[in-house]
Amino acid sequence: MLEAYGSALAYLFGNPSSFLLIIFSVIWGIAFGSVPGLTGIVGVALLIPFTFVFDPTAGLLLLSGVYVGSTFGGSISAILFNTPGSPEAACTALDGYPMAKKGQAGKALGIALASSAIGGIFGTIVLMLLAPPMAQFALNFGPAEYFALAVLGITAISAIGGGSILKGLVAGLLGLGIATVGLDPITGTERYTFGNLSLLTGISFVPAIIGTFALAEVLQRAGEKTSTAEVITDVSTKLPSMKEFMATRFTLLRSSSIGAVIGALPGVGATTAAFISYSEAVRWSKRPQDFGTGVAEGIAAPESANNSAVGGSMIPLLALGIPGSATTAVMLGGLTIHGIIPGPLLMETNTQLVYTVFIGMFIANILMLIFGIRAARYFALVLKAPYALVGPAIVVLCMTGVYALNSNIVDVGVMLAMGAFGFLLRKLRYPIASFVIGLVLGPIAERSLRQGLVISDYDYWDFVSRPITAVLLIASLLSLIYGFYGQWKRHREGRGSPAATG
Amino acid sequence: MLSLKITTIAAVIAGMSIAAPAALAQDYPSRTIEVIHSYGPGGGTDRFVRAVAVPFEEISGQSMVPISIQGGGGMPAFANFQQRRVDGYTLMAISPDQIIAHALGRISMDAFQPLARVQYDQGMIVVPADSPFQTIEEFIAHARENPGDLTVGITGAAGFDDTVMGLWNIETGAEVTTVPFGSSEMVSNTLGGQVDAMHEEYGPARGLIDSGDMRPLVVFSDERLPVLPDVPTAVELGYDVTLGRWRAFAMPADADPAHVETLYGLISEAVASGAYQEVQEQAALQFRSELLGPEEFQAFIDEEIEVYTRVLDALGLLN
Repeated sequence: MLEAYGSALAYLFGNPSSFLLIIFSVIWGIAFGSVPGLTGIVGVALLIPFTFVFDPTAGLLLLSGVYVGSTFGGSISAILFNTPGSPEAACTALDGYPMAKKGQAGKALGIALASSAIGGIFGTIVLMLLAPPMAQFALNFGPAEYFALAVLGITAISAIGGGSILKGLVAGLLGLGIATVGLDPITGTERYTFGNLSLLTGISFVPAIIGTFALAEVLQRAGEKTSTAEVITDVSTKLPSMKEFMATRFTLLRSSSIGAVIGALPGVGATTAAFISYSEAVRWSKRPQDFGTGVAEGIAAPESANNSAVGGSMIPLLALGIPGSATTAVMLGGLTIHGIIPGPLLMETNTQLVYTVFIGMFIANILMLIFGIRAARYFALVLKAPYALVGPAIVVLCMTGVYALNSNIVDVGVMLAMGAFGFLLRKLRYPIASFVIGLVLGPIAERSLRQGLVISDYDYWDFVSRPITAVLLIASLLSLIYGFYGQWKRHREGRGSPAATG
Repeated sequence: MLSLKITTIAAVIAGMSIAAPAALAQDYPSRTIEVIHSYGPGGGTDRFVRAVAVPFEEISGQSMVPISIQGGGGMPAFANFQQRRVDGYTLMAISPDQIIAHALGRISMDAFQPLARVQYDQGMIVVPADSPFQTIEEFIAHARENPGDLTVGITGAAGFDDTVMGLWNIETGAEVTTVPFGSSEMVSNTLGGQVDAMHEEYGPARGLIDSGDMRPLVVFSDERLPVLPDVPTAVELGYDVTLGRWRAFAMPADADPAHVETLYGLISEAVASGAYQEVQEQAALQFRSELLGPEEFQAFIDEEIEVYTRVLDALGLLN
């Protein structure tokens, strides 16, 4: 092990240009992450032809640096404009934007950046120390476990919403329902497409999120009489103070752990990790009703989880040759072109490559702190412009961003429709968080439930009696009851005290 | 007024192209050629287009770029392809997925002018190292005695993998149950023993086969793979299962025949180049990837349509 790190360090110092590559890749990643429509996947895919001129180690350093940078980058536009720059950052908008609206954009960005770096470093350490055992552990997760994990996340809907239990549930069910449009994941038949082939893609997650978050926000602001009422004033990014940091330490630790584990599971990645740790942050909070109004934990949880998932998703890639996420799948393609055969033997036969990437990712996370502050400052300058100019620009960015993602004009239509829908949800005071959790986790729950039932030949007992599944499902049930009880209690107290009604 | 002028110019150019196709062919291609496909950036098809694009650019002086339009069973990509102008600068990278969409009545293969089939992969049934099945005979015997008991992980629902395994069920009577996954989940669920086996091509499974974590039982091809001399083909066992994933270029149906000819010439030169052959070997696609030109490829497509329609019908997917 020490020998391996020694040869990795020898490589890095023997090729000083590799440090330049890491710096470049982090900046490139932050840029791709922060612009809606350009995601980390695109950032990595575009660089693959450029890795041909390097040796495979330098090539993989470049790609993993982009991955690290882009995962944080998405949070910048999520916080400042309510427009997630990448899907991983969608969850960050839930509390990041409200905090920015309260005039604390700098604080929100600072929390996002610090949490990203901590999560990223945590994920990298897990990758360095535990890659082979973690990869083996992840193999215990079959469809039944994925289902239970998604259900656990979905049950947080019961705790979210502050006001009305019913509205939270309705919003959650709407999310679950809308996610069923498109092709059936098991039989491939058309569902709710009404014979319209352009709906076969379904309601894609990114257009739906950009519509409900960004476009709906612009619509709402346009409807307000004085658009100067909420000016985001404080845009200077500062890292949280030690006191603020210590207040979120449990959230950071819990979310980073969730991120590393979920990242290591193939097929689910940073986006799912962000939403599940947000759900958990709500569940473990003493004041769950404050989530969605701009609380620090609401930013720290998803940002530490999605960055930790970066290290996590490298685990199955390097230990087994199975990509843990869409971005690592692209990286795997890049490795193959270099003549490297990804598989369990990679860590033995290409020790130097693997350990150099470990160190490179560590450095990339630290560089992210430095460049993240700069990037956030430049982006924040936009906020000095009047909203009458920024608003329409956001709409244009939403349209081009959604189209650029997949060159599919139907996605733009979906985005517009979801914008109107999100606007209605807000006006009627339905919690957006519940809706989005349903939309993100619903498809995972459905697909894995049905895969699991095919495997167990529709034996439900066989399905739930697996140890990990059983534990997760019991936890879901308890949290459901506890969540409803908490809401009911708050509701009753709220009705009892005259202060709450006034 | 301006548009009228453009129309006139276009008409003149069109007239010229009839009068002097040879002269115009020299100017073609004069700009970037875009290749639409329905898979993710960095996926097998995306890499295929990029691999051909490198020597193509050297030979023709023009670049070739893949455009990825994912999801929806390939429908959005097809719609985009059809909406574009037929000027010789839009191609589509097609595969058995288009044949399936045709059989399902979602698209028509008549919309394509076949250009070149380049890659032809071969699938395998692969089991994890701790599987009780050492040989395909044991696997078949168990499946015949317990129809549907064995689960096989596949990628995508009612797609290529489902058709191959459906044909396997029909041909062998050793009925297995398919479980659709994303490609990485399919591998992890097979390694973790959640399913009994998976259907995968040699290239992506190579790492796990080399390390001994997985064992191929049968290969769907006419001949054994030189790298896996001990793994029998389905054909030698008496089952006609040779369907493989292929990757090819197609143009719009009403493409200019001169363009088809020029482009095929350039692509065949690019495919023969060392740069492309090297990439093909790294992806372990060299075993039966024989280049087919427009006519042979059309005949191949017609055969494929017949086979896929028959299998999908037997699976009850056509209605």
